Amino acid sequence: MKRTRHTSWPSTVLAIIFLAIMIFPIYWMVNASFQSNSAAQSSTIFPIHPTLSGYRVALSQQGGNLVTSLIISLGTVVLSLAIATPAAYALAKFRIKGTNVIMLALLITQMIPGIVIANSLYTAFNNLHLLNNYFGLILADASNCIPFSVILISAFMRSIPDSLVEAARVDGAGDLRAFRSVVLPVSRNSVITAGLFSFLFTWSDFLFALTLTSTTAVRPVTLGIYNYLSANVQQWAPVMATAVLASIPAMVLLLAAQKYIAAGALGGAIK
Amino acid sequence: MSTTSVDHPATRGAAAAAVPGEPRRRPSWLTREGPRWLFLAPAIAYMVLFFGYPVVKNVTMSLQHYTASTFFTGQAPWVGFQNYVTVVKSSLFTTTIVNTALFTLGSIVGQFVLGMLLALFFRRRFPLSNLLRGLLLMPWLLPLIASSAVWKWILDQDSGVLNQLLGVFHLSAVPWLVSPHIALLSIVLVNVWLGIPFNVTILYSGLQEIPTELYEAAELDGAGGWNMFWHITWPSLKSVVTVVLVLGVVYTLKVLDIILGLTGGGPANSTQTLTTNSYQTSFTLFHFGQGAAISNILILVSLVFALIYLRFAARSNTE
Amino acid sequence: MRGARKGALVGTVAVAALSALALTGCSSGGSSGGSGSSGSTSGGAKTSIAVEDYYTQPTTGIMDKVYQACAAEENVKVTSSHVPGAGFIPKVLQQASSKTLPDVLMLDNPNVKQIAQTGALSPLSDYGISAKGFAPAIAQAGSYDGKVYALAPAINTIDLIYNTTMFQEAGITTPPTTWAELQTDAQKLTKKGVYGFAFSADNDGEGTWQFLPFMWSNGGTETDITTAPTVQALQFLTGMIQKGTVSKSVVNWGQSDVLNQFLAGKAAMMINGPWEFPQLSAQKKIVWKQSPIPTRTASQTLQSPLGGETFTVPNTGDKTKMAAAGKLVKCILSPANQAKIAASEGDVPGQISVATSFAQSHPLYAAIATSVKTARARTAKLGAKWPATQTAINVAEQTAFSGKASPKAALQQANSQKEQ
Repeated sequence: MKRTRHTSWPSTVLAIIFLAIMIFPIYWMVNASFQSNSAAQSSTIFPIHPTLSGYRVALSQQGGNLVTSLIISLGTVVLSLAIATPAAYALAKFRIKGTNVIMLALLITQMIPGIVIANSLYTAFNNLHLLNNYFGLILADASNCIPFSVILISAFMRSIPDSLVEAARVDGAGDLRAFRSVVLPVSRNSVITAGLFSFLFTWSDFLFALTLTSTTAVRPVTLGIYNYLSANVQQWAPVMATAVLASIPAMVLLLAAQKYIAAGALGGAIK
Repeated sequence: MSTTSVDHPATRGAAAAAVPGEPRRRPSWLTREGPRWLFLAPAIAYMVLFFGYPVVKNVTMSLQHYTASTFFTGQAPWVGFQNYVTVVKSSLFTTTIVNTALFTLGSIVGQFVLGMLLALFFRRRFPLSNLLRGLLLMPWLLPLIASSAVWKWILDQDSGVLNQLLGVFHLSAVPWLVSPHIALLSIVLVNVWLGIPFNVTILYSGLQEIPTELYEAAELDGAGGWNMFWHITWPSLKSVVTVVLVLGVVYTLKVLDIILGLTGGGPANSTQTLTTNSYQTSFTLFHFGQGAAISNILILVSLVFALIYLRFAARSNTE
Repeated sequence: MRGARKGALVGTVAVAALSALALTGCSSGGSSGGSGSSGSTSGGAKTSIAVEDYYTQPTTGIMDKVYQACAAEENVKVTSSHVPGAGFIPKVLQQASSKTLPDVLMLDNPNVKQIAQTGALSPLSDYGISAKGFAPAIAQAGSYDGKVYALAPAINTIDLIYNTTMFQEAGITTPPTTWAELQTDAQKLTKKGVYGFAFSADNDGEGTWQFLPFMWSNGGTETDITTAPTVQALQFLTGMIQKGTVSKSVVNWGQSDVLNQFLAGKAAMMINGPWEFPQLSAQKKIVWKQSPIPTRTASQTLQSPLGGETFTVPNTGDKTKMAAAGKLVKCILSPANQAKIAASEGDVPGQISVATSFAQSHPLYAAIATSVKTARARTAKLGAKWPATQTAINVAEQTAFSGKASPKAALQQANSQKEQ
């Protein structure tokens, strides 16, 4: 309550102005999705003759792809967090010999260009019959998200005071119980943030979607959107309509997740 | 399951007093350290399985004469460091190094400063703050193909919205993506736009970790805004800031699609970075060995930053 | 809340894993083995052929119909996959290295020699397909080492398209035939908000493609881009930009962007190809006509580049499938299918006789049908070495157009960079 001693509406206005600048390209995308010839030269700043043709095409053809993207993204988040969170804790708190080497290795994995990974994965997945299915894509996308999540979460976990964990030990808890009942709740912010970005990385992934699928059986929306872009003819209205439609469910999920990034998760625990 | 680990007062005391890294008296993998490796094992297995082979393959590819034929026949004669020599000696190399450095520096500074300002700003509670903070993530939700097309239109010299806006203020149109001198600045701006959500969200999470009591106490002592930032916020955020910066550098060095979408590396190679050059050398010119060499040089550059990060993280661990 | 977190986590992982596995079962029914190995024959069952191309809508609709019709004719089962252009070549390479190339592979004509050189393709003569009657440039692009590996059912090239209303208003009665006329006409047509002439000079290969008619017709050659005729051609276009009759933004425009400029009334003349005719015909705002691309002098012959996708039969090692694939390609190349594909894509048929009769029923394409007879393949002289020169020409263009260097210096710089 001391925070809000400045009148809050000017802050809102300021935020809205800055956001307007940040979001303007998205406004333009929405604008373009309602126009039939949506390239810069012929589109207007406001859809004077709005048409739903872009959306009609997008909904009828990309609906399934949207669900596919959702399933893959959510699956990746679950898998990544399940593997990354314990690892992050181990690296932050267990003082294992070689922590630095592992951290360095994790960082190196983030430096490898995606196409290099994709090429190797194609051959391997082909032999394992993991092409064209959800599980394969989840595995591939998780490989991108796990190192990032470990790095991020362990950075946050490093600031958890040892006394907190020791207190749990005094009560007779082992490593796993301490992790589950003390460390995880206190790391809520970082875990949710890591989950958020895992979702976003996977949602916007194009490379693995392209490499690891060859049929329309499993086609994430980032790939489906190319259906309207050929070498010669580019239909931007359905592209923009798909982009807008694709962002709605994702935005709903993200807004829900953001609510949980709350203040003082750590502060409360110390008391 | 967790209560089976030995938790005598004796071992507990010994463990708590042990200096990190000191060898233990009994085989460590049998006692506490045993189940501890299980925390880490799945992640390590994942990394080895998914990244081990590609890394090795990329290094060997850079030491071979690898062409399109190799994909079909599997034959690639060894040429040692010839690819690296060719790449470094090419006149395009200096251009790409300079462009990469400027691009990375500009992007990181822009993203971080703006991200930090926004994160600090959003700490205040005001109506709609949650919704607005969520909306900030929109740039990441949109497929890059769509975003880069929109930015190309916005930055179009003749009919783009940005130049039209400048026209309203009687400023002359800027050749955003057309002039070799300005194109790099333009892609930095777009990359900053893309990078702000990443920085804001992580920094905001970090800020939320700082106990409010510290600020309340400082306020009682009469501390002002800048003092509170410098003496409370900044020190507490150090590890988060380092993560954001090092990951930011690593990811920015890897940026490919947005540059290809906006300018393709042009005009006249003015936006050609190490990554775009590596991609084009491999997939347009089919000189895969050289492309791999360039990407390995890039990884080395990233590695330098990573080592600096680890130094910093190790130091803050002992604080 | 505290203790439940890990339990909830484990629970959700289990659910996700189970649902993923269940979905795996649902989705990998037909095609989990990559595109080259789906299904096989067993005494009497149909051979299964996989076709791969980079088409998108609406072309995929027509092409799939053609594939299926040919499949019915040849009594084989065909599955087609369409890989977006951005990732097509990397995909082909991945498939080559994992030995999962499709049975019929579409390739853009400038890529054929590169892929043929790797040994991944089989000669079309093995299947009784010959290049007889096809436009000479197709055989040029589609052969390697004396054998024909690829042929195109539908081809195109580029020409000059102009806005007749703007011509009337400017008092121009005939379209330009020489560079000097192009220059003066563009100057007359340029006014506030309108550029007299527009073409593509961007990075994606389209820039070089549109420069070639100017370069070749003047006597320039791709084997040495520093010769005087090429410099002259580049100087001409650079001059137009400097005079303000062409927008500097051409370095960032693809052919689609050029079309949009023309359709928005922001360019009076443009260089583009017949694949845009469907879009041009569908709108009523701009009235337009075509004309051959001007040459420097009236006595020079126009040489424009060949465009169009070819079909090939990769070396998958499976003799039965390759034979069936060959039959399928033969069917795709049949005159009836040539006309069908050309009509849907906005191209002209690849065989000259078929093109001539096509032009009679599609008068809009008559001019193109004539030009493709004398079109030139980009890879004819350089073969697999073409991509490096394509990039060099484009870099030189952009350097000269943006004023960074003179056309002569730009070409020399780009050429020396290419040698490395």
